[in-house]
Amino acid sequence: MILVISFLIYLGLELTPGDAVSFMLPPDALMNIKPAELEQIRDSLGLNQPFIVRYFLWLGGVIQGDFGYSLASGVPIKDIVLDRLPATLELSISALILSSILGVIFGTISALYRGSITDNCFTFFGMLGVSVPEFIFGLIALVIFALNLRWLPVGQRILPGYDSYWDHMPHLIMPAGVLALMMTAGVMRYSRSSMLDSLNKEFIRTARSKGVPEWRVNFIHGLRVALIPIVVLIGFRFPMLIGGTVIIEQVFQWPGVGELFVFNVRSQNYPLVMMVAFLSVIAVLLASFLIDLFTALLDPRVKLE
Amino acid sequence: MTEEKRPKNRLNKRFDKLRDREIHGYNPNDSGGRAFKKLKSNRLAVIGLIFVILTISASIFAPFVTQYDPQKVDLRSMLKPPSSDHILGTDKIGRDVFARIIYGGRISILVGLGSALGAALIGVSIGAYTGYRGGWWDSIFLRISEIVMSFPQIILVLLLVSILGQSLMNLIIIFTLTGWGSLYRMTRAQMLSLREEEYVQALRAFGLSRTMICYKHILPNALGPIMVNITLSTAMFILQEAGLSFLGLGVPLNIPTWGNILNVAQDLRILQNYWWVWLPSGITISFFVLAVNFVGDGLRDSTDPTLQG
Repeated sequence: MILVISFLIYLGLELTPGDAVSFMLPPDALMNIKPAELEQIRDSLGLNQPFIVRYFLWLGGVIQGDFGYSLASGVPIKDIVLDRLPATLELSISALILSSILGVIFGTISALYRGSITDNCFTFFGMLGVSVPEFIFGLIALVIFALNLRWLPVGQRILPGYDSYWDHMPHLIMPAGVLALMMTAGVMRYSRSSMLDSLNKEFIRTARSKGVPEWRVNFIHGLRVALIPIVVLIGFRFPMLIGGTVIIEQVFQWPGVGELFVFNVRSQNYPLVMMVAFLSVIAVLLASFLIDLFTALLDPRVKLE
Repeated sequence: MTEEKRPKNRLNKRFDKLRDREIHGYNPNDSGGRAFKKLKSNRLAVIGLIFVILTISASIFAPFVTQYDPQKVDLRSMLKPPSSDHILGTDKIGRDVFARIIYGGRISILVGLGSALGAALIGVSIGAYTGYRGGWWDSIFLRISEIVMSFPQIILVLLLVSILGQSLMNLIIIFTLTGWGSLYRMTRAQMLSLREEEYVQALRAFGLSRTMICYKHILPNALGPIMVNITLSTAMFILQEAGLSFLGLGVPLNIPTWGNILNVAQDLRILQNYWWVWLPSGITISFFVLAVNFVGDGLRDSTDPTLQG
C-alpha cells in the first residue's frame, strides 16, 4: 500500500505545472541563460530521464534515507525536514496529550451528570468547538493574549538568546492550547456517548449490586470499557491533527513542517512537497498500527494476529 | 391493446385501490411525516434550519439586501469602522465588509454544498453497487478509498491545488475527489447489512437485475444516514474552504468568499486594530457551520430507526 501511495505521489507531482528550474534561479539570471546551459542544469537535477526510471531512482533513495534535494536551495530535504520536525512534534504531541486527557475528563463528567446544566454546557461548547474553524479561534486568541494583553509572544519559536530548552515554552502555549481545544471538542463528544453506552451495560448493574462503591463502578468498571472506542477515535483523528498543525502553524508562524509544506506548495518545490506528503501518510499508517497495539492492551477480547 | 389484461378478481381490485391512494399522496405509514415531526420538536435543529435558510436566502438575494458592490474599490473610505453607512465598516481598499460577507456566502455555500453533493454522487453510487455486488470490484474500490483516506485530507487537498491550480471549479472537484471516502464507506456498510434482508432475496428470486435491486430497492432504505452525512459534509467542506482560502490557496483571492475575507487577518496590524474586517466573517462561518451541524444532528435523531420512539 505504501508502494502504491509513493507511486501516486510521484506521479502527481510530476504533473505539477511549472518548470522546476525556473524556481531555482532569479528571474534576471534566467533571462540570460542559454538553452544548452538550461539543459545541463536539467540533466544534473535528473529531470531528463524517463518517468519510471526517475521513480525507481527516487524510491531506492528514499529507502536508504536519501530524500533528494530541495529544488529551491539545493539543501538535502532530509536536513530541512529534520530541522522542522521537532517543532511540529512538540506542537502536535502536546496538543494530542492535552486534548485526550481533557476530552476524556469532560466527556466522562458530562456522561455521569447526564441532563444537568454542566452536561448541556459541555455539549454546547463541544458543538461550538467542532464548528468554529481552528484558525479563527487562533486569531482571536492571538488578538487577546498576544496583541492586547501582551502575556504571550506573537508567534515564532526560538529566538536568539534562548539557551535552555524551556525558554521557548511561552511560544508553545497558544498554538498547542488552540489546537488542543479544537481536538478536545471532538474527543469529548465521543467520550460522552461511549461512556453512556458502557454505563448502560449489564456488568455495571452487576458491579452495583455487588456493592462496589460508586466511584469504582464509574471509573474502574465503566471508564475502562468506554476508553477502547475513544482510543480508536483518537487514532482516527491523527490525520486531522496533522491538518490542524498545517493551519495553526501558519497562524502562529510556528516554524514546523506544516508551515514548510504550505510555503513549498506555493513555490511548487516538488521533491519537498512530495516527501512531506509521503511522510505524513507513513505517520498516519504508523499511528493506526500503534492504535491497534494499544487497543489490544486495553481490551483483552482483542487478539493480535 | 398490447397490454395484457389482468383477470378482475378481488385481490387485484384491492391492489389497484391501494395504488390509487398512494398516487394521490395518501400513505398511512408515511415515515417522512413522522421524521419531520420529530425534527420540528428539536428546538436546536429548528433554530439551525432557520438560520441556514436565512443565510442562504440573504446571499441569493444579495443585491436586495445591500446596495454595495462587494468588488467596488472606494479609496476614499478605507478601513472605516462600522457606521450607519457601512454596517460592518470597510476593508483595506474600501470595500463594504457586509456586502462582501453576503456575496461571499454564495461562493462558500456553493463550494460546501456542491462538493458534498459531488462526493455523495461518487461515494453513494459506487458504494451502493460494489457493496451489494461484493467480489473483486468491491475490494478494488475499498483499496482506493483506503489510499485516499490515509492521507491527511488537507495535505492531499493542498497537493491537488498545487497540481490543478486555483479556481472555483477546481476546488469543488478537489473536495469531491478527496471527500468521497467516508460517504462510500458508510453506504457500503449499509449495503452489506441490508443485502442480507429477506426482501432482497425475494427480489432476487423474482429475477430483478442487480442495478435495479441495489439502486431502486435497497438504496432508499439507506438514505437516512446518507442525508445526515451529506449535511455534515457540507459543514466540513465550508470549514475546509475557509481554511484553504485563509492560507491563500483556496478560491482565487479576487472572488469574495468567507475564507478570502479572513485572508487579510494574516496581517497583524489589521488583526489588532481593525477587527471589523475579519471578525464578522469568522463569526458568520462559525455560526453557519454550527447551524448546519445542528440540522445534521437533528436529522440523525429523527431518521435513525434505532432512536425512534
